[in-house]
Amino acid sequence: MVEPRQILERARSEGRLKLLEHESLKLCELYGLPVAKYGLATSEEEAVTLANDIGFPVVLKVVSPDISHKSDVGGVILGIKSSEEVRRAYNAIVSNVFTRAPGSRISGVLVQKMAQQDLEVIVGGIRDKVFGPVVMFGLGGIFVEVLKDVSFRVAPLTEADVDDMIREIKGYRVLEGYRGSPPRDLESLKKIILGLATMISDLSEIEAVDLNPVILYPQGKGALIVDARIILGG
Amino acid sequence: MNSLKDLFHPRGIAVVGASKDPTKIGHIILKNIVEYGYKGGIYPVNPTVSEVMGLKSYPAVSTISDKVDVVVVSVPNVKVLDVIDDAGKAGVKHAVVIASGFKEVGNIELENELVRRARRYGMRVLGPNIFGYVYTPERLNATFGPRDVIPGNVAFITQSGALGIALMGSTILEGIGISAIVSVGNKSDIDDADLLEFFDEDPNTSVVLIYMEGVSDGKRFVNVASKISMRKPVVVIKSGRTEAGARAAASHTGSLAGNVLLYETAFKQGGVLSAKSVEEAFDFVKTLSWNPLPHGERVVVITNGGGAGVQASDTLADDGIHLEKPPQDFVEEVKKIVPPFASLANPVDLTGMAPEDWYYRSVKLAVQNPEIDAVLILYCHTALTSPVGVAKAVSKAIEEAGVSKPVSVAIIGGMEAYEAIRYLTSIRIPAYPTPERAAHALAAQLKYRRYREYLMKKEHLINKSS
Repeated sequence: MVEPRQILERARSEGRLKLLEHESLKLCELYGLPVAKYGLATSEEEAVTLANDIGFPVVLKVVSPDISHKSDVGGVILGIKSSEEVRRAYNAIVSNVFTRAPGSRISGVLVQKMAQQDLEVIVGGIRDKVFGPVVMFGLGGIFVEVLKDVSFRVAPLTEADVDDMIREIKGYRVLEGYRGSPPRDLESLKKIILGLATMISDLSEIEAVDLNPVILYPQGKGALIVDARIILGG
Repeated sequence: MNSLKDLFHPRGIAVVGASKDPTKIGHIILKNIVEYGYKGGIYPVNPTVSEVMGLKSYPAVSTISDKVDVVVVSVPNVKVLDVIDDAGKAGVKHAVVIASGFKEVGNIELENELVRRARRYGMRVLGPNIFGYVYTPERLNATFGPRDVIPGNVAFITQSGALGIALMGSTILEGIGISAIVSVGNKSDIDDADLLEFFDEDPNTSVVLIYMEGVSDGKRFVNVASKISMRKPVVVIKSGRTEAGARAAASHTGSLAGNVLLYETAFKQGGVLSAKSVEEAFDFVKTLSWNPLPHGERVVVITNGGGAGVQASDTLADDGIHLEKPPQDFVEEVKKIVPPFASLANPVDLTGMAPEDWYYRSVKLAVQNPEIDAVLILYCHTALTSPVGVAKAVSKAIEEAGVSKPVSVAIIGGMEAYEAIRYLTSIRIPAYPTPERAAHALAAQLKYRRYREYLMKKEHLINKSS
C-alpha cells in the first residue's frame, strides 16, 4: 500500500515540484476522493490490457515531467473504443511527443476511463502565507475563467462551512437544477471539498491543488475527478 | 505567556521618558494618565529631573518600590532595550513601546531583539510604533491622543497610528462610548487575536472595532474571531481592498486566490462584519453597541415620505433583508392614526402631513408588537414639524414602549435635522442623516445575527462530532 508521503518524497527526490498525473490521482484516491478509473502504461501491450480492464471508452494522455500542456503537443487522445484504437493512439502519442516536444522524458501513458460528460466544476486548494490551507470551489468553464465565480474557505472546515461555500457562488442555481437540468449530487461534492481540505492540511509539502474538472452528476449519481494537478512547495 | 489582564488592570504604571517639556510625547502621555483620572500608582521615570507634574520622578523602573505592571516606553529606539532589561528585572509584566524606528523602517533585528528580551522576563510587548492605549473602566488613558474619551462599551484596535489618533477624536465627536482603544502598531508580540481573546472575556466591552492592515497568523485570527463573534460583534475596516494581490499562477486556484478575497473569506468565516469605510464602521458600531440583539429579521419601516422609504427598502434588499407586510394588528392600530390614503404596506407611510404625535404613536406600537423584530424610522424635514420635536417623540415612544428592540433612525434635512441627530445620539439611539445609512446600519445588526447563528450551529456540529 502506497502512503501519501511516499508519493511526495519520490517527486522530491526526482526534483519535481509538480506531481505526475497518475501520482496526483493516486493521492486523491488515498484521501477517498472519487477519480475516473486509470492506470499508467509503459508499453503498448500494457495500455491495451489496462483499457480492457477499465472498460471502453478510454482516454490516453502522455505523462511527462517536462510537458505541462499535453494537448498542445498531441499528447491526449479522447474517445478510444477498442484495443486496436488503443494501439494506434499509444503509438501516435509517443511519436507526437517525439516530434513536437523533442527531448521530453516520457514516464508513460495514462489510460483513463472516459467520464460521461456532464456539469463541470472546479475544486482547488492552496497554502497561503497568512491563512494556511485554503480551499476553493466554483463552476467550470466560463464561470471560473471569465466570471471568477468562486468561493474560498480557510481550513479546517466543518460541513456547515462547505454547505455555505457551495451556496455562496452566484451560479448556485445551476447546482439546484433549472429548466429541466436536474439537481446535482451535492453530497459527493461536499465530500470532495472536505477530503481536499484534509489532504492539504495533512501534507504541508503541498502548495496548490487543482481538481479541474470534477464532473458533477445528478443527485445520487456521484462525482468524478477527471484531472488533478498537485504542486509542491519549493 | 501571561494574559493581558494586568495590561488593562495595572496596579501601577511607569512612564519612561516622562519629560517636563510639554511638547514631548512622554509628557503628554503622563499628563493624559494623570488628568483622565487613573487611580493606580503613576511613576514618571526620568533620571535628569526629580519631579514631573508634581509627581516624584525615578531614575529607573527598578528603583520604584511599589508594584508596577505596565511600563510605557517613550524613549528613542536605541534606548528601548535598556528599558526592557531594567523593567524586566523589576518584574513589570507589560511593555507599551511608543518608540518608532523598528520594523516599519526596516529595523527588523532591533524589533526581534526587543521581543526576545521581553520574553526572557516573561514580559509582553504592545507595539512598538504606537500612540498608546486607553481602558476607560480603569480611567486609564496612556496615549498622546485626545484626553476626554467617552466611556462606553466599544473596544477599538488600530494598526494605523495617525488615523487611529484621529479616529479617537472622531469617537468623541460621534458620541461613541469607548471601553478601550489599543494602538497595536507593528504587532511585534500582542496582536489582534490576543486582544480579541481579552475583550471576549471583558465584561466592559460588548463590541470590537478593528482598523487592520493585515495579520500574520490568519488561521488564528479566524479561530479567535469565530469564538468572540458568538457573544460580541466584531467590525473590521481592512485597508487595501483594491490591491490585486494574486500570486504567481502555477495553479488555477492560486491565480484566483487574491489577498483581498482571502481576507473577506476569513472575516465571513470568523463572523466578522467588514466595513468599507470609517463612516460605515462607525455607523455599524452605533447600532451594534446601543441596540439589543434582534430576535429575527422582520423589519418595519415607518416614514413620512415615499422616497425615503424606497431608498431604505432598496438598501435593505441589497443587504439581503426583504420587507414583509407588517402584522395585521399593527396595521389596524396605525389606520386609526393616519389619513385613509396612507399606504400601510411596508414601508408604513404616515404621509407628509404626519405630526410628531403620529410618530410617537406608531413607533410605540411597532416597538411593542411581538411580530416585529426591528424598527427603522425615517423622517424628512417638513414645514409642519420640527426635527428635534420628532426626535423627542421617537425617543419617548421607545422609552415608554417597555420593550427593548433594535431601532435605527434617519433624520433627513438641514441644520435642524443635524441637531435632532445629535440629540438622539446623546441618548444612544442610532441616528443618521440619510435613509440609506440608517437602513444599512440596521442591516449590519441583522447580518451579525445571521453570522452568530451560523457560528453557533457550527460549534454545535463540532461538539456533536467530538
